[in-house]
Amino acid sequence: MVNVAFINPFSDEARQIVREYGNLNTIYQENGDLIQLVTRSPSQDISDEESIPHNIMDLALKRMEWYVKKRNNLEFDYRKYSYLYNRNITNFDVIAFYLLVQAVSVKFGPNSRESRVMVEAQGKLMESRMGELLLSEKRDILGTILNTLLPGEVKWTMFADLLSSRKIKLTDLVLDQGNIILDKDYFMENLGFKLEHRDPGKMYDLLIGDKIKELIINRMIMQKTEDYISEVYQKSQRQVEPNPILLELADKVTEILNQPMATYGYRGGATGKVEASPLNQEAFPPCVKIVLEGMKSGGRNDAIILFLTPFISYARLYPDVFRRNTTLRVSDVDPELAAVEKEILPLIHEAAERCTPPLFEDQPQEKVNINAKMGFGMHSEIELKHEGETTWYTPMSCEKVKLHLPSLCKPDKTCKSIGNPLSYYIHRLTDLRYEEATSEEPGEESKQESREE
Amino acid sequence: MVSDQLLKPATPEERRRYYREEWDVKDIPEFISNSVQKREFGFDHMGRGPNDRYKVFRSMDLLRKFLRYRAPFAAYSSVAFYEKPQRRDGWIKSELVFDVDAKDIPIRECGCQGVCEVCLNQALEIISSLIDTLKGDLGLKDIHVVYSGRGYHLRLFDESVMTMDSDVRGQIVQYLSGAELPRNEYAAEGVTYKLEHFTIPFGYPQVFTDRTRYAILHLTPETQLDEVNQKLLKDVMKNREFLEDNQWGIFRSKIGPQRYLKLIRSIASLNMALVDAKVSIDLKRILRLPSSLHSMVSMKCTEVKNIETFDPFKEAVPKFVYERKS
Repeated sequence: MVNVAFINPFSDEARQIVREYGNLNTIYQENGDLIQLVTRSPSQDISDEESIPHNIMDLALKRMEWYVKKRNNLEFDYRKYSYLYNRNITNFDVIAFYLLVQAVSVKFGPNSRESRVMVEAQGKLMESRMGELLLSEKRDILGTILNTLLPGEVKWTMFADLLSSRKIKLTDLVLDQGNIILDKDYFMENLGFKLEHRDPGKMYDLLIGDKIKELIINRMIMQKTEDYISEVYQKSQRQVEPNPILLELADKVTEILNQPMATYGYRGGATGKVEASPLNQEAFPPCVKIVLEGMKSGGRNDAIILFLTPFISYARLYPDVFRRNTTLRVSDVDPELAAVEKEILPLIHEAAERCTPPLFEDQPQEKVNINAKMGFGMHSEIELKHEGETTWYTPMSCEKVKLHLPSLCKPDKTCKSIGNPLSYYIHRLTDLRYEEATSEEPGEESKQESREE
Repeated sequence: MVSDQLLKPATPEERRRYYREEWDVKDIPEFISNSVQKREFGFDHMGRGPNDRYKVFRSMDLLRKFLRYRAPFAAYSSVAFYEKPQRRDGWIKSELVFDVDAKDIPIRECGCQGVCEVCLNQALEIISSLIDTLKGDLGLKDIHVVYSGRGYHLRLFDESVMTMDSDVRGQIVQYLSGAELPRNEYAAEGVTYKLEHFTIPFGYPQVFTDRTRYAILHLTPETQLDEVNQKLLKDVMKNREFLEDNQWGIFRSKIGPQRYLKLIRSIASLNMALVDAKVSIDLKRILRLPSSLHSMVSMKCTEVKNIETFDPFKEAVPKFVYERKS
């Protein structure tokens, strides 16, 4: 029998485990029971001492390391983390979960890379654990958790927060009269009869079955983790001194998160950082190229102000903003504002001029909006003294482009693997640099010759 | 047939006549009048866009006086309800709005330059199918349809969606318009099955099937679709009669599975433009005030009471238009 707490750390059973746990200081003490459980987990690799957690602090860090390595390292070795799928570690695992959540909340707050990765890791771990359960166990657990989290009818409108963060997509759900269809009897009675030449029972298994229930539970628990991080953070703001154990754990989490940047990075780069550098228009995504050619009346303002300005400024000054997840100002990268004046603004203004009719001809005030979107307030000139009066807008995601400016989205092959035009730029930039670096002299010469022809 | 006197801009004198002689404050629907104090109003006095904004009215009578004496080129009210509408501050909630503009329908049969009877009818058909999905799938109520002058607005007052943010509204737009390709692989107990969208007669696959059928049946030889060349377009038009009887399987086999995929992928991206997503996701948008005059086309912005029988050229034409000299 699987303890619900193994999957749902917010269950009553999990809370009971936390209540019964003793002194927080014991998390550093070597824990014989834990070591025994780990080393006896099926298919666990015990040849490397480093991969065995000796105490709960270790276990907490291993949880994060598991996710980070799994996500980044193609040579990820499942056998080094087999104990994470061992249901008998539930009691230790729940404590490790709460330690981690509290550590990242107190040290970094809810809008940090550490918190985001913690939430993702929890989702992925739940998913992997569910995958290891027997079908009958899985169904029992799903039923139990669903009954606790969602008693009665399940309306899609109850999931506004999950939809908002795109943890769930509306198009993935089977909806009828506002209900998310999870129950087989409801399906058979209200939708099954619409099917022709197909067995409704089997269609239920295919279209809904356990998958949608699992998806909803998984995403709800991820959301609960996120909410809990915010709650702990709020409380911690009222405390004088956070527990040093939590701060230490938080620092170690950061170290783990920094490892893939150093080790794997972007295509093997030494530091994984993508530095500010002059713009390479060859690496621009199709949507940006369309705007640079000039827009027609209608989408002009949004395309130039909301779309192009953030893209060009970030691509030039802070291309890996989404990966570094640290807020910067333009002047942190361009202290004299030379790149802004000589490279960024001219490019944006030229695109505005190419619009039909030229954007500034009938709407000269939009020049101010361009400055505002780079963080320099609502002023006609860009001046350091105004920096910070407005926010330096980050580039729109592909999803937002499709909603705001659908005519711009003409995806090519590279677009399929990215979610933001800026990621496209980094991706192509890296490719182009790689091509340049790997092309040998004779080849390069012959290329140039053929170009001249 | 639409008379030559229609769809021409109204003169300042015609605007004044409209607001003094024809318009009645009672024509403003209750969904506006019962929340007048919570909304921001905006006006366009010169035909250069609504630049007189942040207006508030403490009563319907003050709004009546304003419209009667100023006879604006266009009048708007916010979809948002505010604690302090004069500052657009203290956002409480917003109507969920879908804007189908006849001139922006992605596949138009008429090919006209502006707006005509044919594309306005098409806009109403689209509105009708959106309402079916809003009610049937999403279970939403309190839906009002407004003829805007160049298309239709769907305005929802269902409390369960009025506090939703832009991202959720964006997802609703995608669902309603069939803008995403439904998956076609489904697995159970380790076995994966292929199920095309048209074999699933409910939920999102059905919405996608409906919108795709509508698009295909309205294609013209001039329609430009990404990934669809002239040969494919011709074959689609030749075989589309199968879709009138829902014979999707035959249609798909006539087109060929690879080309079919290209076709529906292209239509999915086109469907995104069925409604103007910018309007739906903007929580602080101002929308044309029902009962006000759309001076650019000399039509009344009118609440549609019966979508089956509504004819804008009968119910939304102001009297002064009939009195114009040809």
